[in-house]
Amino acid sequence: MINTTILSWVTYVYFTAFVLYFMRMVRGTDIWGRMASITAVVGLIAHSAGLIMRWSESYTMGIGHAPLTNFYESLIFFAWTIVLLSLIFEWRIKHKGLGVFVLPLAFLAMAFASLSPNINSRIQPLIPALQSNWLTSHVMTCFMGYAAFAIAFGLACMHFAKNFTRSVTDSQSTFLRFLPSHEGIDELIYHSVALGFVFLSLGIITGSVWAHYAWGSYWSWDPKETWSLITWLIYAAMLHSRLVRGWRGTRMAFMAIIGFAAVLFTYLGVNYLPGLHSYLQS
Amino acid sequence: MSDKRNTVWSFFSSVKLTVSLLIVIAFTSILGTVIPQQEAVDTFVDRLSPGMVSVLRKLQLFDIYHSAWFMMLLFLLAINLIVCSADRWPVSWKRFRGISAPDKEEVLEDLPPGQLIHSEGAFHEEASRVEGVLKKLYGRVRRKDTESEILFIGEKGNASYLGVYLIHLSILVILAGMIIGFLFGYDAHMEIPEGESTDTVMLKRGGEFKKLNFTIQCDRFSVEYYEDGTPKMYRSELSFIKNGSNLQESAVLVNHPATFEGIRFYQASYGTVSSGAALILVGKGHNQKRIIKVAEGTEFDLPGKDGKAKILRMEENFMRMGPAVKIQITSSTQNVQFWVFQNIEEIEEANPGLRKHIPIFNPGLIAPYVFSLVAFQPKHYTGLQVNYDPGVPIVISGSCFLVAGFIVVFFYAHRQVWIGITSEVGKTRISVSGKTNKDSAGLTREISRLIKEIEKTGARSE
Repeated sequence: MINTTILSWVTYVYFTAFVLYFMRMVRGTDIWGRMASITAVVGLIAHSAGLIMRWSESYTMGIGHAPLTNFYESLIFFAWTIVLLSLIFEWRIKHKGLGVFVLPLAFLAMAFASLSPNINSRIQPLIPALQSNWLTSHVMTCFMGYAAFAIAFGLACMHFAKNFTRSVTDSQSTFLRFLPSHEGIDELIYHSVALGFVFLSLGIITGSVWAHYAWGSYWSWDPKETWSLITWLIYAAMLHSRLVRGWRGTRMAFMAIIGFAAVLFTYLGVNYLPGLHSYLQS
Repeated sequence: MSDKRNTVWSFFSSVKLTVSLLIVIAFTSILGTVIPQQEAVDTFVDRLSPGMVSVLRKLQLFDIYHSAWFMMLLFLLAINLIVCSADRWPVSWKRFRGISAPDKEEVLEDLPPGQLIHSEGAFHEEASRVEGVLKKLYGRVRRKDTESEILFIGEKGNASYLGVYLIHLSILVILAGMIIGFLFGYDAHMEIPEGESTDTVMLKRGGEFKKLNFTIQCDRFSVEYYEDGTPKMYRSELSFIKNGSNLQESAVLVNHPATFEGIRFYQASYGTVSSGAALILVGKGHNQKRIIKVAEGTEFDLPGKDGKAKILRMEENFMRMGPAVKIQITSSTQNVQFWVFQNIEEIEEANPGLRKHIPIFNPGLIAPYVFSLVAFQPKHYTGLQVNYDPGVPIVISGSCFLVAGFIVVFFYAHRQVWIGITSEVGKTRISVSGKTNKDSAGLTREISRLIKEIEKTGARSE
């Protein structure tokens, strides 16, 4: 299938973009940054084309559905949302420091999807439980949320990288100059977490509407539901700490990493627990 | 207000408590995903010592999400939410109601040149012109005249101070809906064989039976498969009968429940009732063929009466290869078992040589006898999940409040712009600045827009 070939090539494009972003940090010249952005945009366009082809291919097979229905497709979509959001952030804040910390996540998700022998990349027909109009809105809102949290995680890594570099080198190093200020990073972590929190809430709401139609109960404490709630609670605690108690900087960066660990467990770890959300195991 | 009440109040109005509760609830929820819950408990319990089991049971760790202490945590969170909100409400309300302009005007001090406009126009004319511009852009504008200066304050986005209350209210509404569902609703399960009817469901909680005041009949149940053998559709055709008359007929599919008198019916499972029937063609050589109608357990004589055959199992979709029947042959010389498939030609085509290599799939195993499965008509039962939850509309409205609250909190910011007009020699100076509760970047954009607007309508900037 041509779409899987395109998508596996996109993996290398993202890796190249990451290397270019990294060169920008090391060499300290902006030409690398521009090349990195262009490469990432090209990768995203090819990625989108691959997704659309996969979508239309499923219709030619007579089992048409959005490419959001198994583990392979979810990884590919996760990477897509991460790169999309990262480029939007880059464009909005006019700063190219984010790519180094975020693109590896997209690259890893793509590489895992394309290379792991246990992941089935075939387009499969929809089992009855997934035949619902809520599928697309539920998966899209959830992964937009995950991606925003991934950005916050990347920013938190940036925060710690900055602390670390400052402790081992003098403050004039190019590496430091090419990162936003601590206040700027803190503000961005807040914005991405707030965005992710809204999308996660929408994902939980669309999911429970769907569960109401499919499982006969809008909330059944299925492990995935429970873990999405746990993630939601962690980020709720984080937002309250900032908005009411005024937490900033390292504490927020630390919370962003804890929160993202919960996101990853909600996404991947839960598959090892028994439950109703078992579609990803195939 | 007594001291005691003060302590309680300040305990519950602290955000430290909120954050701690959120983390404790998160942590206990993790326990519930690690320790098997409810139905899953039985197999887990066998691996533990009885003492351990009784301790875990006492702590209600096998049904954490319905345990008294989990409810207690949620209850504390609800109280905390209410007290926190009540505690902060007066301030927010005041901010929402309007301009709380301090007398000091630091906002307008030490402005960069870009936020100053020097105009040739006369002092009072300029003031009324600026007032016009401001009133067009802001809902609320206040004017304050002093001897040397006229001050305008315009603001918008005051609602952003109230969004957080909408979010807190929505959480309380959702919790209330869940409690109502827990108290007055039920989850149940029922199984109806095709062509039969029942009016009794088995409650999930407690495992008791509950009689409905109408009867549900399963007219038909069917399963469809994709070409690769994965299931495509489960469909039950139900009739709802009350006082002898058929009031409603609905098809229930996964993701498409049916509702009757507020009670919802979901396609949950299905199975084969053992009394399904199949037609088997038995032959000896090319003649002596006959068709036998069999069920599970049926025994019949082989043609020529030199042995017996027994139907051991009947499967509707055996190993994803369609209907199959397992037959045991006992005769004086041999005792063999094998499967007979209905779609043997397709299976052979997809797996050439299958029959040769796997004897148990070879119905020609005991020559000269041949077997084939002509028709398979299993009798199904449908498993329905039955759910009655009067809390659902409340939870839905709570979710709508939640989304609305997020929009207000995260996408609206309160912005206050200040314009001071002072007279200078032969000129009028207009200074523009502002304040916001968040989103300073947005305020900067807004101020430069406002300056452009003021410059456009007349005065020259230098």
